[in-house]
This record gives sequence, structure tokens and C-alpha cells, in this order.
Amino acid sequence: MVTSSLLLSITTFTFLACSVLYMAGGVFRQKQLFFVGSMVASGSLILQTAGILLRWKESYDLGYGHAPLSNLYESLVFAAWAIMLIYLVLEYRTKQRSLGIFPCLITFLAMAYASFSTNVDAKIQPLLPALKSNWLIAHVVTCFIGYAAFAVAAGLSLLYLAKGKAMGSSNTGPASGFVPEPRQLDELNHQMVLFGFLWLSVGIITGSVWANSAWGTYWSWDPKETWSLITWLVYAAVLHARTMQGWRGNRVAWMSLLGFACVIFTYFGVNFLLTGLHSYATK
Amino acid sequence: MDQKHGFGQQLIGALASLKLTLFVFLALAVGSILGTLLPQGLSEPELQRHFGPGIAGWIAAFGLHDLYHTGWFRLLLLLLCVNLAVCSLDRLPKTIKLMSRREETLSAKKLEKFSTRYSLSSQHGPEEARSRIAKVLETAGFPSQFVPGDQGHGLIAEKGRWAPYMVYVVHLSVLVVLFGALLGSILGFKGFMNITEGEVSDSVAATTGHGQIMLPFSVRCDDFSVAFYDQGTPKEFRSDLVILENGKEVRKQTIRVNDPLTYQGITFYQSSYGTTLKEAEVEFQDKANGKSERIVLPFRQIRLIPGTQDRVQVVEYEQDFNRFGPAIGILLQKDGQKESSGSWILVDKPDFHGNRIMNYGIRVIRAEASQFTGLQVKRDPGVWWVYGGFTAMLLGIGLAYYTSHRRLWILALPEGKGSKVILAGRASKNSLAFEQEFNGLCERLKAEL
Repeated sequence: MVTSSLLLSITTFTFLACSVLYMAGGVFRQKQLFFVGSMVASGSLILQTAGILLRWKESYDLGYGHAPLSNLYESLVFAAWAIMLIYLVLEYRTKQRSLGIFPCLITFLAMAYASFSTNVDAKIQPLLPALKSNWLIAHVVTCFIGYAAFAVAAGLSLLYLAKGKAMGSSNTGPASGFVPEPRQLDELNHQMVLFGFLWLSVGIITGSVWANSAWGTYWSWDPKETWSLITWLVYAAVLHARTMQGWRGNRVAWMSLLGFACVIFTYFGVNFLLTGLHSYATK
Repeated sequence: MDQKHGFGQQLIGALASLKLTLFVFLALAVGSILGTLLPQGLSEPELQRHFGPGIAGWIAAFGLHDLYHTGWFRLLLLLLCVNLAVCSLDRLPKTIKLMSRREETLSAKKLEKFSTRYSLSSQHGPEEARSRIAKVLETAGFPSQFVPGDQGHGLIAEKGRWAPYMVYVVHLSVLVVLFGALLGSILGFKGFMNITEGEVSDSVAATTGHGQIMLPFSVRCDDFSVAFYDQGTPKEFRSDLVILENGKEVRKQTIRVNDPLTYQGITFYQSSYGTTLKEAEVEFQDKANGKSERIVLPFRQIRLIPGTQDRVQVVEYEQDFNRFGPAIGILLQKDGQKESSGSWILVDKPDFHGNRIMNYGIRVIRAEASQFTGLQVKRDPGVWWVYGGFTAMLLGIGLAYYTSHRRLWILALPEGKGSKVILAGRASKNSLAFEQEFNGLCERLKAEL
């Protein structure tokens, strides 16, 4: 019998295959490997979509009936899904398959962490009263689209920095000539940051409106809220430095990575190291 | 900056500067990080216990235990607002001026300077070529305008004229959100009330300070209940509330978490619950003379033990006192004494040796517990400003992301029997995507000419 956990376990391994294919394509400069990687990635995304939908249905069969966005496991799966989706759209639009190395790796790591860590409980659990709201879907989906865009932006930044290094040492480094021009990477990074910024804003605002309708405060300086604001400020600084001060290249790439570090801390660090309203997300 | 400008100009320059913006962003971020690392809302004695007197002194001096309400954090927020407002007011006229400037004439020389440009030949004469181009541009969403060229025929087209203004919408929206927050904190209140099932209350304990807020109406809780999932975790908390005005029922509503009740701008949220004692029937046996007296003690009300001037009251109730089952805390004040003494009396263990205070042996005959619902109560007249700001912010960021101000300058010059067409373009941002759009347009024009 096909269950959602079977489907999602399979995608963990197919995402590993994608990462290997993309990396091999980059190292050996084989466009065919990229092509195969891209096909496997698309197939995995379809399989994962089916897995998520099936999990949704299974929660109804168990009598809980909620969208699969309620705990750490489900959010990791959704994060992986969103990163892959955004990356594949980017790949389709730019026709640049070499961009996939880092997004695939991040996707695989997210799925592997969800599947294998003892900290993460994959069981379908009933929804806490505080989470019973239509805002749950709006809030989680928008936040994670933002996070996913920032993950792809961080991947582009890493590629930019790696390419810069390769070009600095010799003109025939493993990645140079095979990945897009630095100017295009820089531009795509900016696009992704702007896209992520928009969705992070929507995510923070939906969370805020939800909190107001559930607890009567739209902002309570809870650590998760505060860290999402810190992330927002960092990316706002990136956008201002680039637009107003004309920052380009390495500095923007490093700032984008700093922003992503804030995203990671907002996502994991706050759950495990600090306490607050979002404590249900630790299991 | 120009030497002629005085101090005022310099101050405005500093307040409008991007350096200040980046500094405020960074300072707010670092401040907020501190606030998440240190537990917030601890009292000074608690701080002393956690950190020792030395560090606690520093924490208290900078208000780090209540960081987001300190003067310096608010000052940073104020600085952010000033920076936003001054820089927007400083730049807006420049943007308007830039947007309203239009070339009167076009020259081939001017167009040669653009980095994004293209030239093609047409079999049509310049005037015909120009009107064909205008038609193509029209379908691509670029309304165009004819202008004379120093030779030949010129054309200017643009779209997304309002895109450069979106950044001002976003800046304004931040100010509106913060204004709404300020309005809410000045004109609104936030508090908490516990209502025992069947009881009525109109007083709210304020969250900040220790004051009581009296509501202009009263609230009765008819019932509170918790539903559980099969495996034991809570599924739903609900309270049946009734609003009373001058003793008359005016509104009846069941509230749940995520489903509050609003009446006259005051909102009641399901927040917590608990069990409290309604009343207890207690037997006091005076060990000195063996006399027993039974009295009913309503929770937290003082009664006299019959035949004496000794005052007793039940001040505490625990559903499970150190795993000995329910217990009530009784306070006894002997006649003529200033000090009272108290003890926990176990309800289900009448023979427990500690069931006594001074000369009385105490036995609980009956303890009637009842549930109370904990309601968060709030009035916030600023919230619609905040929501309005939110909406404007999303519109502004969204439109700033999806659009840019794109301009095309086109000149058709006579060349032999046909014409030579020079196209130049510029976008306010995202030049790479614009280059693609520009190239696409040039391909279409090539086919049409």
C-alpha cells in the first residue's frame, strides 16, 4: 500500500540523486548530467507533491483533518518542496542548469533532516487549538515561499563567490565558463532576494493578523517574531545597499548569505535555543 | 555638501542619509537579538537570582530585561521614522521632477549614448516606419508619443510610470503601521479577566501596571469546557459568554481560541482556564474543649467560628496538592492577635496529622470546586491603521517587485528610399530583464518594418 511516508522517503533519495547529478555535471562539465539531474528533480517534485497531498488526505482519514503544515517534519518537507519548485521555475526561465547545485543540496539536506533526525517526529498529529485557523495555511505557505527564495538566493551567492574564487586563481577553474556570467548571477540573486522579501513580508503580516485574531496582539516580541523581523531588516539592508549605494558582487553575495543565516536561525535556532509562542514547532 | 548650506541643511542631509538607515537597521537588529537572548519580563529580584547582583545591575540599567519597551529602543524606532520621513520628503520632489521631464526633440547623437540600443533598416519611409512602430508598441503596452527629431521623426514611449513611486508607498506604510501601534498603546488597553462559571464580572486586570479597568458592561460565563482528542491532547477550549448591560442580556456567543468575541470595540479572547474553589464546608474542633463547629466558607471570604471571635477564610485551593489530592489553604486569625497563621488542609485525608491550625483540628466536609475561564481582553483603536499600513506595504513591495519604469526613445531617419531606425531604452531597475524585453521588441519591429 502506498503511503505518504513511503513517497516522501523515496523523494529524499531522489533528491540525493539530483544533488549528485548536478554536482557531477558541474565538476565534469557535462551538460547531459545537468539535463538528467533536471529531469530527476522535476520527477521528484511531482512525487513529493503527491506525497504531501496524500499526507493531507491521511490526516482526514485519522479524523484530524488538517493541512500538512503543522509541525517541524511537515514544515521541512514543505520547505524542500518550495525550494525545488522555485529553483525549477528559475531554471526554466534562465535556461541555466548549473544554478541547481546548491538548491538541490539544500533540498536534500532538508528532507534528510526531516527523515532521519531523532529530533523530528514524522507522525501525523492532531492540531493544537491555537493552530486551528485558516490563517495557518496562509501564514506557513507564505513564510516558506520566502524562506525558499532566500535559500535559492543563498545558493546563487555561493555560486557567485565560488566562481569569483575560481576566476581569481585561474581562468579554467572547475566551474568557470560553465556557469552564468557574474553579472547575471548578481542580478538573479537580487531578483530572488526581492521575491523572498515580498513573501517574507506577507508571511510576517499574515502571522501578525492571525496572532491578533487569536490572542489579541499583532506583535508581542516573541523570539520567532523578533527573529523574523531581524531577517527582514537584514534583507531590507541588502536591498537598500544595492539600490541606493550601488553595491554589487561579493558584498551583496555575503549579505545575502548573512540573511540566509538569519533565516536558518529563525527556523531552527529559535525553536531549539529559545522559547516562545512557536514552541510546538520543535517536534 | 555645499559649503553655503547651513547647519539645518547638514542636519537634514544626515537624517536623510542611507548611512543612518543602515545604522538604524543594524542597531534595531542587534537590539532585538539581545532581547531574544535574555529572558524578557523578569522582575529585578528574579534577575538578581539568575545573574547575580553585578550583571543584574547592568541589565537593569539598560533595561535589557524589558528591552522592547525601553527608551533607547523606542528612540531607535523614532529615528527610523524620522529617517524614513526625511529621506522620502527629500527624494520625492526629485523623482517627480525626473518623471515629468520629457525630451522635446530627439537626435541620433543622443541615442548613440545609450548602452541598450539597436538599429535596423526599413523599406518604409521615416514617417510610415514611425507609425508602424507606434502600433507595435501599443500592443506591447507601451503608449507612445511623437516628437520631432533634429532630422527624421522621433517617438518616445514609456510604461510603468508609477513604479518609481512605489518605494514611497512602502516607506509611508511603515510609518502608518508604527503610528497605528502608537495610537493603540495610547488610546487602547490590554488586560486579563478570570470568570468562574456562572459568575459575572466587569473588571479587567491591566497587563501593564497593576490597575483595574472597569468595563462599561459586564460579562457572564455560562459554561467553560475542554474537548480532548482520543490520544489525550486538548482539541478545543470554549467558553459560552453573555454580555450584560444593566443586567439585561444583549449578546450571547461561544468563543474559542482563534474565534473571539467583540463588543463595543472590546475583544475577548479565550486564553486560559483553571479550577478554583467555590465554597467549602469545614468542621473546626477546638482541641481545648472538644467542641466542634461546622461552617460554610465561600472562597476568600472571612467568617467567624461560632461562639468565638476567631476569624477564618479559605485563601488558596489546589486540585492536587503534592499528589495528596485536593487541598484548601485556610488562614486563621485568633481573637485579639495581629498575626494570622495558616495551613494546607487535605480534603480527602481527614486523618492527616497536619490538618490543624493552632488549637483547632480541621476537617473538610465538602469542597465545591468550579472552573473558571481566562480571557484576554483588549481594546485597540489603532489596529485598523496597522492593517491599512500592512496592505499598503504589500501592494508597494509587490508592485515594486513586478514592475519598473521602462522608457524607449526611437528615431527614424531617412536612408535611401527607406529609413534607418535607431532604438534606445532604459529601465529604472532590473536592466537584464529589460534587455530581454527590449531585444524581443526589436525582433518584432524587425518583422513589421
